[in-house]
Amino acid sequence: MGNFFFDEAFIDGPDRVDGKAKVTGAAKYAAEYELSGLTYGVLIHSTIARGSIKAIDSKSAEKAPGVLGVISHLNSIKVPGYDMSVNPGQGPAGGKGLQVFNDAFVRFYGQPIALVIADTFERAVFGASLVKFQYSREQHLTDFEEAKKTVAPVAGARYNDFVKGEKDAYKTAAVKIEAEYIMPNEVHNPMELHSIIAQWKGDDKVMVYDKTQGVKSSQRSIMQAFKLPEENVQVISKFVGGGFGSALRTWPHVIAALIGAKLIGKPVKLVLDRQQMFTMVGYRPFTVQRIGIGATADGKLTGITHEADSITSSYEEFTERTVNVSRGLYACPNVTTRYKVYPLNLSTPTWMRGPGEATGAFAVESAIDELSYALKIDPIELRLINYAETDQDANRPFSSKFLKEAYQLGAERIGWKNRNPVVGSMKEGDWMVGYGIGSGMFNASRGTAKALARIYADGSLLVQSAVSDSGPGTATAMTQIASAVMGVPFKKTTFELGDSSLPPGPTQGGSTTTSTLGSAVNDVCLSLKKKLFELAKDNPVFHTATIHNVALNDLLFENGSIFLKADRSKKVTYSDILNKAGLSQLEITEESKGGEDARKYSSYSYSVHFVKVLVHPATGVVKLDRIVTVVDAGKIISHKTAESQMFGGAVAGIGMALMEEGVIDHRYGKWVNNNLADYHVPVHADVPAIECILVDKPDPIINPIGAKGMGEVSIVGFAAAVANAVYHATGKRVRDLPITPDKLI
Amino acid sequence: MINFDYVRPSTQKAAIDALNKDATSQFIAGGTNLVDLMKRGVTSPQKLIDINRLPLKGIQKRDNVIRIGALALNSEVAEDELIKARLPLLSQALNAGASPQLRNMATVGGNMMQRTRCPYFYDTSMPCNKRQPGTGCSALKGYNRMHAVLGASDQCIAVHPSDMCVALAALDATVIVSGNKGERKIPFLDFHRLPGSTPQKDNNLQRGELITAVEVKDSDASGRGAYYLKVRDRASYAFALVSVAALVEMKGSLISNVRLAMGGVAHKPWRLTAAENFLKGKAATVTNFQLAAVEAMKGARGYGHNNFKLKLAPNSIIESLKTASGLS
Amino acid sequence: MRKENTPDEEKDEAHLARRKFLKQSTALTAIAFATPALVSAANNNLDEKAAGYFEKVALKLEVNGKPYNLSVEPRVTLLDLLREQLHLTGSKKGCDYGQCGACTVHVDGKRVLSCMSLAVMQDGKKVTTIEGLSTGDELHPMQEAFIKHDGFQCGYCTPGQIMSGIACIREGHASTEDDIRQNMSGNICRCGAYPNIVAAIKEVKEKGATI
Repeated sequence: MGNFFFDEAFIDGPDRVDGKAKVTGAAKYAAEYELSGLTYGVLIHSTIARGSIKAIDSKSAEKAPGVLGVISHLNSIKVPGYDMSVNPGQGPAGGKGLQVFNDAFVRFYGQPIALVIADTFERAVFGASLVKFQYSREQHLTDFEEAKKTVAPVAGARYNDFVKGEKDAYKTAAVKIEAEYIMPNEVHNPMELHSIIAQWKGDDKVMVYDKTQGVKSSQRSIMQAFKLPEENVQVISKFVGGGFGSALRTWPHVIAALIGAKLIGKPVKLVLDRQQMFTMVGYRPFTVQRIGIGATADGKLTGITHEADSITSSYEEFTERTVNVSRGLYACPNVTTRYKVYPLNLSTPTWMRGPGEATGAFAVESAIDELSYALKIDPIELRLINYAETDQDANRPFSSKFLKEAYQLGAERIGWKNRNPVVGSMKEGDWMVGYGIGSGMFNASRGTAKALARIYADGSLLVQSAVSDSGPGTATAMTQIASAVMGVPFKKTTFELGDSSLPPGPTQGGSTTTSTLGSAVNDVCLSLKKKLFELAKDNPVFHTATIHNVALNDLLFENGSIFLKADRSKKVTYSDILNKAGLSQLEITEESKGGEDARKYSSYSYSVHFVKVLVHPATGVVKLDRIVTVVDAGKIISHKTAESQMFGGAVAGIGMALMEEGVIDHRYGKWVNNNLADYHVPVHADVPAIECILVDKPDPIINPIGAKGMGEVSIVGFAAAVANAVYHATGKRVRDLPITPDKLI
Repeated sequence: MINFDYVRPSTQKAAIDALNKDATSQFIAGGTNLVDLMKRGVTSPQKLIDINRLPLKGIQKRDNVIRIGALALNSEVAEDELIKARLPLLSQALNAGASPQLRNMATVGGNMMQRTRCPYFYDTSMPCNKRQPGTGCSALKGYNRMHAVLGASDQCIAVHPSDMCVALAALDATVIVSGNKGERKIPFLDFHRLPGSTPQKDNNLQRGELITAVEVKDSDASGRGAYYLKVRDRASYAFALVSVAALVEMKGSLISNVRLAMGGVAHKPWRLTAAENFLKGKAATVTNFQLAAVEAMKGARGYGHNNFKLKLAPNSIIESLKTASGLS
Repeated sequence: MRKENTPDEEKDEAHLARRKFLKQSTALTAIAFATPALVSAANNNLDEKAAGYFEKVALKLEVNGKPYNLSVEPRVTLLDLLREQLHLTGSKKGCDYGQCGACTVHVDGKRVLSCMSLAVMQDGKKVTTIEGLSTGDELHPMQEAFIKHDGFQCGYCTPGQIMSGIACIREGHASTEDDIRQNMSGNICRCGAYPNIVAAIKEVKEKGATI
């Protein structure tokens, strides 16, 4: 375990290594590769929510100029990995993703049911518009309220009640709050439309340019679907235009493109359109939560009950750790949680930034705020009174927890003490002013990853791993770590990613990349250092009259040279070492995984968000006037990209709090606002200057670099901060997101 | 889209002739709405007649009339010194709409001609009387948050999405059109229609007619408070939940002249004549503004998801009057 | 009806066989029936008018200083022309409906949405895309400012933000941070890089260089 990050200086906050590519348009995303013979595929989606396809008339489409084929369940190939036992009569089961073109059944409005391939994009689109479908329609169910009354929730052990201590203990508390909170459907809507270019090289070898947050998991899905060996499937994903969880798994359009390419015998480029981004790549599911929280008169929590009812598709089971926040965020002797999921005729939800925790934290952090008013105790004070010093859920110590520091730093920065705590008491001109706080936690962990490190005779360093970067800045952080550990100048260090043929890296999700891959990079560079040492140790420059054996600890690796600690004039460059050994390069590939030590601890990242809002009493418009967002994510590798991540979480939090809601018209089972004009995500004018505080204290246990991850915790708790601020400003408690003007007038 | 024919006439006559020759043809100027509708399959003209070469640009003042060419870009009009000085309400309204890029593409004529953004109108798999008469109105019992509360019918509850038009309605503009029978002038308030039983007709332009200009009577803007208030679900780049165009002129402590129009509430920009009549000669007080708002909302009704407009609209009227009259 | 068979298709027997297979299976199960009016009369007139439909129109325009003489279908957007035909993939497709700004380019110096612009309507115009900003290794001041201030994360909206930011300053709409925010609201960033984008634009404006 190296301690260098705690001790040594390294370039902090360098410009992103891929910055130039991004600002010049040179960065290539999935749909942007030129291939000879490339054709264009356009997916057609169903316009009923449940039933089956009786007939398809594609005559006109096939006759249309440039159309090379129309593929549907009628003529698709047999996909070797498909589970042929799957049928709509079964209930939803885990891991049973939609098998595209496998049968005539329609399971949701917006399901991919045909693929038109043509020689130009316009011809494919036009061809698609000509295909007619005749459906046999069945009664669909997309309304949660209806489902709750008429169908059973999904069964299974994971839905058993959890009880620690006394069940529903809050009911007998001196002071208690009972409330219901609603999180609507939210849609990731990354800027890049999900795309794929699929190319078969022969019958059993395939290359895809994919939009994925995990080139290895994408590779595995394709291997499994077509029963191909690993060396026959290559997935390239060098630049990813945002994922937020929507690119963590392989969706039907990927398999559709591969089917198309196989049938047509040419590479197929398939780009989803924005409407399809609502039904084909998942979404954060609608959830109704009931919180009961009780405390003694002086604020000590006596019981939390957290119930959550959510939804999944009729064919696949999706769950989130929505109620887990209540088990860990505060110290409370009695915790009861209940979680149910109802099947609907919609596509399967998926993980979306802070999955589970973001939804759960909105409820818990609003409830604890409501409790603070009932108790007449300051909201921060109440949280401190119930601060969990150890993980009471798993009965383990935390590897690190600097949440107290985070509360303190943020409160100071926003001037929490200067606010008037009385509800509705603050005004600026016509606007009512409110301050709110919301807190979050998200699991920090370290997975397994492999990395390759190679030093060249010119002294430059290359590190590789099959990971992709959808924006957090992985390449930059890894370059920093490699450069620091290996002692090679930043500008001579390169990190390569985005190719499944590289040593297997982790999927970029769950806020584990820096921890997992950073550790792997750290470890492989340490090993490479050792290898270099083996070549260098016999070099006479390190010998004195008395010392003929130099040990690793006697040496410093810095700036492309090895120095004797005792006498820095005794040095040799990496270049010279390699040249002397007659090598053009020296490399090592290593797998890195968490040790047993880490498993004795619980590891979480923590965030605290402070916001100041302005609310117009007549129009109900809410403006974010100030944002102070604080995070304990362990050691910060790059302040620049870390801040950007926190900004990202805050902006997503603004969306969640004030405007995002995927609306379904249950008469048709279809998404009504499935475009970027009607589904509102924050624009420039919604976002003030954001102040970000990084606690930046290393976690000594979780991994050698001390970093915990922050991509998800950056959003967790933010919406509650806004809802709490709106309450402080107006006396109106909004429990169903988003907080739009109509809810405040 | 189908691959339509494309012609680019350089005279008005040629443009109108081309339109008359082909019943499925349409004019295209900025295209910011038309191209969208074509991509969505809502409209599929087999020929587009590009009118951008016609000499219909320019903003001038002649005698007492400010004339804005139909091809003047939204951004050009909004930033024009004459408009900013004499018709600030129009400039404000234009800048409240869309985005800078769209304002750089959209024309005055196109802004008037733009179709509703009702999601059911846009979705060709949904019943819609405006798109296909007789099929029904999906919004009536559907998701109608953005829809009309005034002047609607049970055949159509769509709203006109323009901001510019609300200001032009308040300013009593005149629309100049040219057609087979020569030129005619249409009062702005008569340009757009109520849905009634013919929701497929958005406006009173006849087939074969081309909007050539919009005229507004100039008047001394000094001493007049102009304010365009737009309430929306996010701070920018969004259509109005409700918008108000307000012009108030004071003589001493009394309102001598007032113009009010609302957007986001009806199939056409909604002039608040009753409220104006109430306010003339009265003191600029919140109480009077509240009473005026009551007048304005007479006959308003919600359709479920937009009931909040019954409160938001009068509130917005009051707020905009407060600002335009200098009260706040 | 003019049909576009590529030479490859003619020669590739396996390919022909596949095509027959595709047509055959749909012929067996296809039922002609009255459809809800999804598609225009074009469908009905397809056979007769087809020849007219797939004609291309001459187009002369300049992109990043380079003149092009092209022949394009009228329905092709400027964005698809840039990306698919000219292989200038710097301008991005985020929505294709004019709702996100990722496709922002300059046409005759003005910022516009290329996804909502028909290529044929740009005849005689000068188009500047993100690729046209830098010369060799020298970056445009706005590009440098974006790198310095980390004005991006995933990078997908970035070309549009940069093109828009430059225009925002030229239009005189960057005097204050609020001004910048209001006038950049036509460019959506889902990663939330907004504060850094504003900082980058502000710096370029304050440095006062002619951009």
